[in-house]
Amino acid sequence: MSALPLLLAALAAAPGTAAGSSPPSLSALAKDLSAAMGPPADGRRGLALRVETRARSLAAPLEAALSDALARMGYSVTPTPAGEDAEAAARRSGQDWLLRVQAGLVPGRRELALVGEVIPCWESFFLQRRSGARAQAPRLVEARQPADPETLLLGREDRPPGAPFARIRQLARIAGRVVALAVGDAGDGEAIAAATPETVLLLSPAGAELARREPDHSGWRPVRDRSAALAIGDFGGARLAVQFAGELRAEVLARRGDRLEPVATLEAAPLCAGEGGVLFGQFAPGKSTLLDELTPSVDPDARPRSPRELYGASAAPRGGPIAFSILDADLRLELLGPTLETAAPALPGVGVGFALADLDGDGTAEVVASSPTSSGEDRIRVIAPLAERPVIFESAPLAGSVLAAAGGDLTGDGVDDAVLALVSRGADGAPVTDLLLLTSDPRELP
Amino acid sequence: MTPSPARPPLGRRLAKGPGLAVLLATLLLPLSAGAGLRPAYGGAVRILLPGAPKVSDPAFAVEPADLLLVRALHATPLEIDAQGRLVPGLLEEVPAAEAGGRAFRLRLRPGLRFADGTPLGAADLAQGLERLISRQSPHAWVALPVLGADALLAGHAASLAGVQVLSDREVLVTLAFPMPEWPWALAAPPAAVVSPGGVGAGPFVVQSRDASTVRLAVNPYHWRGRAFADEIVLSAADARAAARALSRGEAELALRPEAAAGVAACLPTPPLLVTLAAVNPRRLGSGADGVRALVNGLDRTALGRLYARGPSAPLATFLPPAVFGAAPATPAPAAPAAAVGGPPSSRLVLLASADAPDQRAVAERLQVKLFDGGVRAAAEVEDGPRFAARLAAEDYDLALVPVPVLSLAPALAAGQVALSTRGPAAAVRVMAELAGLTPEAALARAAELTRSLDLVPLFATGVRASRAAGLEGLAIHADGGLDPGDLWRRRGEAR
Repeated sequence: MSALPLLLAALAAAPGTAAGSSPPSLSALAKDLSAAMGPPADGRRGLALRVETRARSLAAPLEAALSDALARMGYSVTPTPAGEDAEAAARRSGQDWLLRVQAGLVPGRRELALVGEVIPCWESFFLQRRSGARAQAPRLVEARQPADPETLLLGREDRPPGAPFARIRQLARIAGRVVALAVGDAGDGEAIAAATPETVLLLSPAGAELARREPDHSGWRPVRDRSAALAIGDFGGARLAVQFAGELRAEVLARRGDRLEPVATLEAAPLCAGEGGVLFGQFAPGKSTLLDELTPSVDPDARPRSPRELYGASAAPRGGPIAFSILDADLRLELLGPTLETAAPALPGVGVGFALADLDGDGTAEVVASSPTSSGEDRIRVIAPLAERPVIFESAPLAGSVLAAAGGDLTGDGVDDAVLALVSRGADGAPVTDLLLLTSDPRELP
Repeated sequence: MTPSPARPPLGRRLAKGPGLAVLLATLLLPLSAGAGLRPAYGGAVRILLPGAPKVSDPAFAVEPADLLLVRALHATPLEIDAQGRLVPGLLEEVPAAEAGGRAFRLRLRPGLRFADGTPLGAADLAQGLERLISRQSPHAWVALPVLGADALLAGHAASLAGVQVLSDREVLVTLAFPMPEWPWALAAPPAAVVSPGGVGAGPFVVQSRDASTVRLAVNPYHWRGRAFADEIVLSAADARAAARALSRGEAELALRPEAAAGVAACLPTPPLLVTLAAVNPRRLGSGADGVRALVNGLDRTALGRLYARGPSAPLATFLPPAVFGAAPATPAPAAPAAAVGGPPSSRLVLLASADAPDQRAVAERLQVKLFDGGVRAAAEVEDGPRFAARLAAEDYDLALVPVPVLSLAPALAAGQVALSTRGPAAAVRVMAELAGLTPEAALARAAELTRSLDLVPLFATGVRASRAAGLEGLAIHADGGLDPGDLWRRRGEAR
């Protein structure tokens, strides 16, 4: 929990952060922006640099990277400290130019963008009677680069004072009852996969539908509570795999335009996938629950570890000491390490909508858990199992029931978020699912 | 999947009666739509009833306990979903009306099996309709509209002319008169398909039974999939014993008229058990008008409130208000006791059923009312078979007739009530008269039919479902039914 600020401070204060030791993304971005500036015209080399960003940790490294790149372009760079009128300061100190740069992560895209105003600061002979008049019109320069992990970390904005740890907001509304969710790179970048008994959907991080498939029900052995196992990971021919309870095997689906098409089958249920690997299992015959069988690959000889049954499994998107979790029918969540060893004491009283996600970016996944209650309202808790005070967030009551969840970076800030399937009844009485985003991205916080 | 055109979806009809709409909207939702929960398999669900189930044949089950047993053991061609809509059961889809509402093509799902593993086919479906046409079955109303039902009932035919088996999975049903809402009959428990050996296709099978308890085990072949609970135990308990068992964790659910104290939740079922007074003018002669007027003078709201232990609603017609999708109409003001023709001089026979709850108390109240009007009545309370026999033989002057209405379509409900009180010919007549009418038109017509059937409507009652903490999946449907296969016991630590 406390590792992130320390890491940020270390990155920001590191003496070698300037020049060559900037994160590669920052260096490339600085180079692009200075290229957009071009070499000094008419021998006007003096340049005052002001970097403005809501991510305080980013300002100094970016300033260093820009100073270096602009110097290589031939400018004599003088950083202008925050807190005073940059243009007035630049004129006072006899600079030729002021470059005022705004920097920030592009929402949902894992990219850092820079927008600079190039303001001329020398006195115009013809306009000298008018104090502060600009000799030329200012111009804009822009640059954008995919952000590497270090840059994502630096670019994360500071949490507004008094803001909660996380926020929940609606991403999309889906007809039907979403029973399984997955988040991951489905081939064209981060995406959300959602399964209702009638449909498998692939959605953008913003919740827009990208592709769908209506599964063929003809081979189903009926199951009362139609559940599904769904994962985005490496499944050979494609990256999305799904198995509905009652089906004999899983389908591997590939996106073809707005359709998801089966390209292969698997003889095991794809339970979850993350950087720690994929977990496979088996549905209990005739039931919507799973056998206690966890294997890292499709293994026809696998046997259940115990007679208990499971509701599902979740993988931490980036692995880590808590890489997997499984929820049994007694609503007990087991937390497992990368080799399925016990990683932390089991959590009792966890609802069926659960996921692992490193929401605070400290390298250890938190548990995002719905609440098993008999009321028609659910609550989401974020639990840091290894922390002294484990419950770090509890939502307001949500009207409905969270039946599925998954973790992954959906806001593009490099830190995990979670997506939740809140099932309720629509105006016509039919089930509808609100996909909710749970995020600690400061840009999303009130 | 489309609801019968003659009967709009219940939700839409309910919108016209806000009071009932709110009530039913509450009922239709699962009682415990637990958040963050999914069903857990295993364990036993123990259900307490006013009496031990005795009858498991869908063609003969009438008592609430028997009807619950039938729902556990048998499957119907269609079902009523949580929103009160007609949805496929054993059939692949809700049949569309053909030939102007006179024909329906019933197509079974593929691969259906009875609980003993034998295939369930179109011949079983056809046989199921034919076996209802019997003078002994209280549920002949399901098949009476079918062409040739009268000939079969009279012994002039060996089979139902209107039922044709087209293939292993398809049956064509032709009716004697247009009745677009007839598919609603296929969602009633009596329409369940039974194998020649008497085996059902419901979520459970009988594991063991004795005088007080029936134990049910899972049917692995049920078309909706395996039930959640491994075992259902149905047994009888009086009000006090039921409350005690629920509070001690010795039972999970009680379906009784009165609410049990200290339970997790208690919901009323829709009041669909109607109690009517049937007047026998043949025996009363000119005194019938006087008796009718005296019974009509009863305060039906007070009668239900004081003498019915379950949730009740006064009746304005011989049908329960729920079938019209309207708030219970306030019955007309009581008619003056002074009657045309005057009261009968001799002591009249007031027949009542010993099996239905509350009937004895209502009979006594009726005796007092008649006495106040100068009529002496001897209440004769009979058990089920004798009551039915005397009713059919018109061996009474005035009878209190309880009818558990099993269909939400007014025409079919009317057929059931008319069959129970006035016999098959009257049932066919009222069904033909109400067939295809809008709920509003049916309500107006039902008022006229009430008089022509010589029935005095009194009140309708339901029961209450008292659920112990830890039982999930309980959803009372608009027709008062529940699927025992959906019940499950919560495990683990809940918040």
